[in-house]
Amino acid sequence: MAADEGTRRIAPATGLYVPLLLGAVVTVSLGVYGSVHTPTGVSVNIAGFSGPMEVKVWLASGAALLALVQLTTALAMWGKFGPHPPGWLGPLHRWSGRGAFLLAVPVAVHCLYALGFATYDMRTLAHSLLGCFFFGAFTVKMLSLPKRGLPGWTLPLLGGAVFTALIGLWLTSSLWFFTTFGVRF
Amino acid sequence: MKRNGPLITLLAGLALAAVLITVNLTVTARGGDDPDPAGFGAAAATSAPATAPAVDPPPSSAPPAGPPPAAKVNAVWAGKVDGGGATIAIAVTDGVAVAYLCDGKKAEVWLQGTAAAGKLELAGAKGATLAGTFGGGKAAGTVTAGGRSWKFTAPAVKKPSGLYRATATVRNAKVVGGWIVLPDGSQVGIVTVDGQPRPAPAVDPATGAVTVDGAALTATPVTGALTAN
Repeated sequence: MAADEGTRRIAPATGLYVPLLLGAVVTVSLGVYGSVHTPTGVSVNIAGFSGPMEVKVWLASGAALLALVQLTTALAMWGKFGPHPPGWLGPLHRWSGRGAFLLAVPVAVHCLYALGFATYDMRTLAHSLLGCFFFGAFTVKMLSLPKRGLPGWTLPLLGGAVFTALIGLWLTSSLWFFTTFGVRF
Repeated sequence: MKRNGPLITLLAGLALAAVLITVNLTVTARGGDDPDPAGFGAAAATSAPATAPAVDPPPSSAPPAGPPPAAKVNAVWAGKVDGGGATIAIAVTDGVAVAYLCDGKKAEVWLQGTAAAGKLELAGAKGATLAGTFGGGKAAGTVTAGGRSWKFTAPAVKKPSGLYRATATVRNAKVVGGWIVLPDGSQVGIVTVDGQPRPAPAVDPATGAVTVDGAALTATPVTGALTAN
């Protein structure tokens, strides 16, 4: 990215076509699977919690917390907190992102396998749409990262989309759970 | 490594999802022949054919003659339990609450009790209980039956959504049907003929008309305490 900006060249966005296409495939596939698969109501889960919902809200909360780390480190890497960001920001950003993603996967598996794509009310509809969108957007971001010569807005836009989706997912699930049932494990 | 990192991240997530799905499929397949996947239907399924599969009136429930002195509650809540394995509806008339938990296949339980001061307290046959709260257009709580429990949060619903019940005697067979009609128009119901539960045919929520074994019955919205018939 930095090299491109230095040369002031207007980068074509054509390199984004394949990542965007694959991301769309991911999003649509998740939505279709969630709609077609008959929800089982149960799914494997982590022991030690009082129930599957508790597992999910805490995994999702962990992912949302890491998403905040993501936002902060991304802003710092892009010099928003002053020039010369420290070198450990990059690894911190990468590993907190991986952590957030890997925490989100079991939650999504449970959602899709046990509950399915739900349109029961605005909350579940928004949550279902955001969930499908999140993994598609994350796929686009991961596939775009190694590419050189993409427009400068690529990563902020994709990162912002992924972050916004994840926070939206947390608000429509964990926050709802905490405010409905109280904070419990 | 650095350029492959994001791809490895994606593949790791995919692998994790694949492992979880595989385990899920294995676990679900093992339980696939379970005749009672929801796990709470033993009560209805094992009740003797000679006895009515209706609810034993819970001893602790307030009789209809003595409603709570505070503002009487009138509401219907309906929705799927957490996890989606069953559907629940709670109909309250003047503080007298009737709840129906049903998987639409063969597992069902009727409960009766009270709704007052924001609290739900119901009980049903074979030790089934429901405890919860209501307010703000929804009811939430835990229902326990057949040794298992489900959490639920059900929104308030309006007709034609709600809880319907039909009782009749068809060719000397005692028929009890329960239906939950959800706001999206979908129905979950079980009809028990001489103690044998089975998925209920669709009821017309507008008229309550339903045909069971060739006999035309009328399902009515549940209001007030259940009667054995």
